[in-house]
Amino acid sequence: MHISDGVLSGPVLAAGFGGAAVLAAVTMRRMDMEEVPKVSVITAVFFVASLIHVPLGPSSVHLILNGLVGIVLGIRAFPAIMLGIILQALLFGHGGVSVIGVNSVMMGGGGLLAYGVWQLRHYFAFAHKEVIFGALAGGTGVMVSGLILALALLTTGEEFTATAGLVLAWHVPIIIIETIVVGSCAGFLTRVKPQLLAGNKGAALIHKPSMEKAS
Amino acid sequence: MPLDIDRYAHLDSPLRRWDPRFKLFSLGLFILGVALIKDIPLSVMALAVALVLVWQAGLPSHFVGGGVKWVALFLFPFFIIMPLSYPGESALRLAGFPFALEGLRLAVLITLKAIAIVLTTYAIFGSNRFDVSMLALQRLKCPKIIVQMLLFTYRYIFVFLAEMQRMDTAMRARGFVKKTDRRTLRVMGNFIGTLLIRSFERTERIYKAMLSKGYQGEFHTLVTFEAIGKDWLKAAMVLAIAVLLLGVDAMGVFRPAVQGWY
Repeated sequence: MHISDGVLSGPVLAAGFGGAAVLAAVTMRRMDMEEVPKVSVITAVFFVASLIHVPLGPSSVHLILNGLVGIVLGIRAFPAIMLGIILQALLFGHGGVSVIGVNSVMMGGGGLLAYGVWQLRHYFAFAHKEVIFGALAGGTGVMVSGLILALALLTTGEEFTATAGLVLAWHVPIIIIETIVVGSCAGFLTRVKPQLLAGNKGAALIHKPSMEKAS
Repeated sequence: MPLDIDRYAHLDSPLRRWDPRFKLFSLGLFILGVALIKDIPLSVMALAVALVLVWQAGLPSHFVGGGVKWVALFLFPFFIIMPLSYPGESALRLAGFPFALEGLRLAVLITLKAIAIVLTTYAIFGSNRFDVSMLALQRLKCPKIIVQMLLFTYRYIFVFLAEMQRMDTAMRARGFVKKTDRRTLRVMGNFIGTLLIRSFERTERIYKAMLSKGYQGEFHTLVTFEAIGKDWLKAAMVLAIAVLLLGVDAMGVFRPAVQGWY
């Protein structure tokens, strides 16, 4: 869930932009132009996929899927998610320009930690481990972003304590939903196109040695 | 959900004629300034400035109104949460619950600032074609690789939106109905996986096609920027207003009185 403009204090906004810049610099190291179309296309898919609504009782929620970005793009998940946040702020007309930094750290940080959780699968060997670890990654992504959002609210001021609590409560059903969705997606991709997932043999989207550059 | 904020970018207006680099830079700083305002009267002034900007951009009110409505709706819960949960003693009670006027003040402040920022965002990005805005970003020293990815992603959002709508129609034509159950979520997972695979294979083809057309990491464009005096003037005006608002805010001229409404 994103935060809107006008809520967070100056220091929190600054920390958001600073943190996002640092994380972007670190996760985009040695990124060559060949990765640009690949990361962009996946970012576009996630942008579009996050518009999907899943019914939740009488209403519906839309998916965040930062965990899925993590398991597909690895560390490049951060720039991808940051791009998604920027484009949402610029294109939707719903605001969010002043909180691009905070939202990127929130969602992107969740994506990176989801990748970390996903990579833990290498230490295990049991049937359907990709579904399990994908599910854990999906839940981790949403949970971490909720925690960071709550932290940002609490740091802004104690008058936001109740809001932070409500935010965390609101994330619980979304965590459950995304655990199932991302887990099933990870299973599907493992069966159909395992190279799409980060950390798999022949992983196609991360750190592929450069093709012969056209001179 | 309108994804084309630059739908009316072809209309002529003082904002459209403003060099996008100056516009982005000065209005960007203005937005950050507005986000820091702490007093309601100043946020009202900021909102007034934002309304002037939207008017000067020549954007139709129904277009801008949609975004404003969404922001107001999103922030509506604050009007309930903040007064009821504001820390500290409060004299008033509403239906038996402690009702803090200070909480209401905060909710109003947040909403005014958010709307001012949304309006300014429309003024910036609604008055130029999106790729022109991105080029301005690059000229303002945003890393080229980020701008390239923004342009690429923008380009393909619309392609995948159409693809997703086709897949959705196909699913519903086969009798799929979304419900709150695990099956729906598994199907959604497979749906997204399929979308990912198709787009990934498209990526490979796209990249090879670009290479074969001579792509070497840069989009060459015919768009040029030329600064004229008026561009500097507009930027100076905007920055002066932002500094003025923040300065008055910092001086506490409008700080709420101990027993005041604001």
